[in-house]
Amino acid sequence: MTASRLVYQPFPVVGALILIALVSLSGGCRKEAPPPENTAPVKALVSSLRAEPRTFNRYAGRDSVLEIFTLLTQARLVRIDRRTQALEPWLAESWTSSEDGLTYTLKLRPGVTFSDGTPFTSADVLFAFRAVYDEKTGSALGESMRVGGKPLAVSAPDTSTVVVRFPSAFGPGLRLLDNLAILPRHKLEAALNGGTLGKAWDLATPPAEIVGLGPFVLKAYQPGQRLVFERNPRYWRTDGRGHRLPVLDRLTLEIVPDQNAELLGLQTGQTDFTQSEVRPEDYATLKRAADAGKLSLLDLGVGLDADSFWLNLRPNRPAVAKRPWLLRAELRRAISHAVDRRAFAETVFLGAAVPVHGPVTPGNTRWYSADLPRLEYDVPAARRLLAGIGLTDRDGDGVLEDRAGATAGFTILTQKGNTALERGAAFLAEDLKKVGLAVDVAPLDVGAVIDRIERGDYDAVYFRFLTTDLDPALNIDLWVSSGSAHVWNPGQSKPATEWEREIDRLMGRQVAALDQAQRKALFDQVQTIVAEQLPMIQFAAPRIYLATSVRVVNATPALLRPAILWNPDTLGVR
Amino acid sequence: MRYLARRVIAAAVLVAVVSSGALLLTRLAPGDFASDLFGAGASAATIARERARYGLDRSPVSQYLDWLGRAARLDFGVSLVYHRPVAELVAQRAANTGLLALVALVFATLLGLPAGIITGSRRRGLLPTILRGLSLVLLSLPSLITSLVLVLVAARTQWFPTGGMQSAGAWDAGVFAGLADLARHLPLPALAIALPLSAMIERVQSQSMGDALEMPFTLSTLARGVPRSRLVWRDALRPAIGPVAAMYGFVLGSLLSGSFVVEVVTSWPGLGRLMYDALRARDLYLVAGCAAAGSLFLAVGTLLSDLLQAWADPRLRRDEAGGTSGGSA
Repeated sequence: MTASRLVYQPFPVVGALILIALVSLSGGCRKEAPPPENTAPVKALVSSLRAEPRTFNRYAGRDSVLEIFTLLTQARLVRIDRRTQALEPWLAESWTSSEDGLTYTLKLRPGVTFSDGTPFTSADVLFAFRAVYDEKTGSALGESMRVGGKPLAVSAPDTSTVVVRFPSAFGPGLRLLDNLAILPRHKLEAALNGGTLGKAWDLATPPAEIVGLGPFVLKAYQPGQRLVFERNPRYWRTDGRGHRLPVLDRLTLEIVPDQNAELLGLQTGQTDFTQSEVRPEDYATLKRAADAGKLSLLDLGVGLDADSFWLNLRPNRPAVAKRPWLLRAELRRAISHAVDRRAFAETVFLGAAVPVHGPVTPGNTRWYSADLPRLEYDVPAARRLLAGIGLTDRDGDGVLEDRAGATAGFTILTQKGNTALERGAAFLAEDLKKVGLAVDVAPLDVGAVIDRIERGDYDAVYFRFLTTDLDPALNIDLWVSSGSAHVWNPGQSKPATEWEREIDRLMGRQVAALDQAQRKALFDQVQTIVAEQLPMIQFAAPRIYLATSVRVVNATPALLRPAILWNPDTLGVR
Repeated sequence: MRYLARRVIAAAVLVAVVSSGALLLTRLAPGDFASDLFGAGASAATIARERARYGLDRSPVSQYLDWLGRAARLDFGVSLVYHRPVAELVAQRAANTGLLALVALVFATLLGLPAGIITGSRRRGLLPTILRGLSLVLLSLPSLITSLVLVLVAARTQWFPTGGMQSAGAWDAGVFAGLADLARHLPLPALAIALPLSAMIERVQSQSMGDALEMPFTLSTLARGVPRSRLVWRDALRPAIGPVAAMYGFVLGSLLSGSFVVEVVTSWPGLGRLMYDALRARDLYLVAGCAAAGSLFLAVGTLLSDLLQAWADPRLRRDEAGGTSGGSA
């Protein structure tokens, strides 16, 4: 019998039909069974997910559900506190670094065991590094665990010590290890040796086989329905009073693909919290429920992700030969001047947003700079800038033409079905029409947008990148000209512009600097160049609200996703 | 037998064409599983490596022929997303959708058929007028709205769960408790599908009943003094049910393709939702597998409706027998 059969319950159809009638006749009301006497009440919470898990193997996949699964069932050597951004000991209880900042010696916490009782040792850490760098496994983690394209060198002098050596100076240092879940060597080494680690721990794996160092263990997975977790009795953390964590006995993650249904589940008490932030259009309803004491509404402040607009700055594409002004910084500055950011925040986010002028929002307190150059709403200034690059209304029809007489316009691609993006793109098109630019919006399926970005087959894009790391050195691919996430002109063999060359130089120093103040100063210079050159333009960042049932206690919500489940072991229930 | 064999061959062709079309369209649409997995900003080398790993670097024709060869041996490949055999995933979810479709069909029949008989047999009166009005409203409502309204009603009244198929641990207390829990979850999605369907059945049955009541044999029966209610519910019903029976096959097929909105809104873990997820992730083998299952349902449904029609109308049986013998002569 396969594992999937173990968790998937067949049902006699005829019996079900008879019972529908019986239950319907009896009113169909939900009746909770009374708890057995003389037993402590089970501390349980129910949350929801919008998508199915794809695998249970952190080394094989990369998606938000897997990230949550890993946070619940596995642990890392060090952890970044997502509220304070401070690095804290986790499986490694302490560490020292060499003077040059290249070598770190980590002391592992003694007495820690996996959920099946197997002791955790430095051999598990060595296995984890071997697994993520294994070419056959092709782990996405392997790429993020490199510095300057080179892997870290790891050794273990004894069972409780690990030495990590960086190939070059790296400012974030051990923060990099926050990504690396330590999976059990004794369960997965055979698969790694056999070249099948990428297929290990798929969805048919019996839950008992999936062991870990996290606060919970998987009890059941019912495809399309839910994941049920129970407390890991061997979990190593205790609270301040010495009580063994986690607080919860059980955590259920219901799979609810529709956000409206997810919201209803929250309102009716069937769900205690969701992974999604409150949509602007749902805020008023939830606020009323919160005021009536039915829900808790948590204000997390300004979010980390501001939707970004950018023009395709690849110089050798055919469109640029006909419309060279598409590459001009004056056009980007004119666009920034032409958009009324306050009205944008009011219209697109229904007021639950603040105007922003750069990719790093005020939500990222560690790296945000309030002193950057700003191009405020100024339509005449926008018109002057456009005239300066030859875009004027030559035939008096209200639309600008270039020197060749062609209409000055472009198409903005955006993601179909994402209401904030669609509203935002429509708002941009309207404001840009006011300065004479003929702008169309083409909402496409997300896969098609990504495909067009990848192929460079577009004029402009309005899209959202989800922030996964706040430290710019961990998002280096966005900033440097050779980076794959340098979306306006990715993977350059040498910088196409002087300002990109300067950003490359500054980011090189920023990544290698070990002093936080120096790193911040260098990154401020990068942000200043970006604010002047505007390769990406941001208009507003939404305020983030989360709703939970009043049963949830000790939640420590953070802006980085998952907002609540990043810290699951202290989560409690009233 | 020959008739059945013909139908089986036609079903196989239908399944092959639909699943091939689904696979090729998914493959040829912009973007693919690898670019979707890594999103914008992944390096070209990473995307190329993933494409090679999943065989997406081959030409669509070579990929299709390879898949077709395996599909002919009933091996529909492995899902790119879940790393599980497509047949296994589809079978799991098809059972859930099959159950939902069956219950929805029962609900739709129980609601639509009597309503159609009433409106078809009584041109005037308060009840037929209300039923006709309700039918028009239900017919004009998209399933998305029906689902959301029902979910809202369930949320307000707490009569039924707002979504899902079973509660966590429902089967722990035994088979009866598990079935009771399943039965509590079924009415909401089943009604969301059944209500518009019942309106459709009502309309067809109403028209058909009206026609049947004007046939010479019913008029002569009435002239013989048989009470009108007996005439309607016994004599006219059987000939009038033919068009509704003919509709059932297509309804069964469309339940699978059309239930995905309901499955998404009510969190029912069915085939429609699996296909929706597969399409979003560009999991082409899973898309093809789901399409094959959907078309198989349609083929089986059409066959069932033909058999039902033949049961309802003996002339069709004679025609079919005549046609068959004529063909073999």
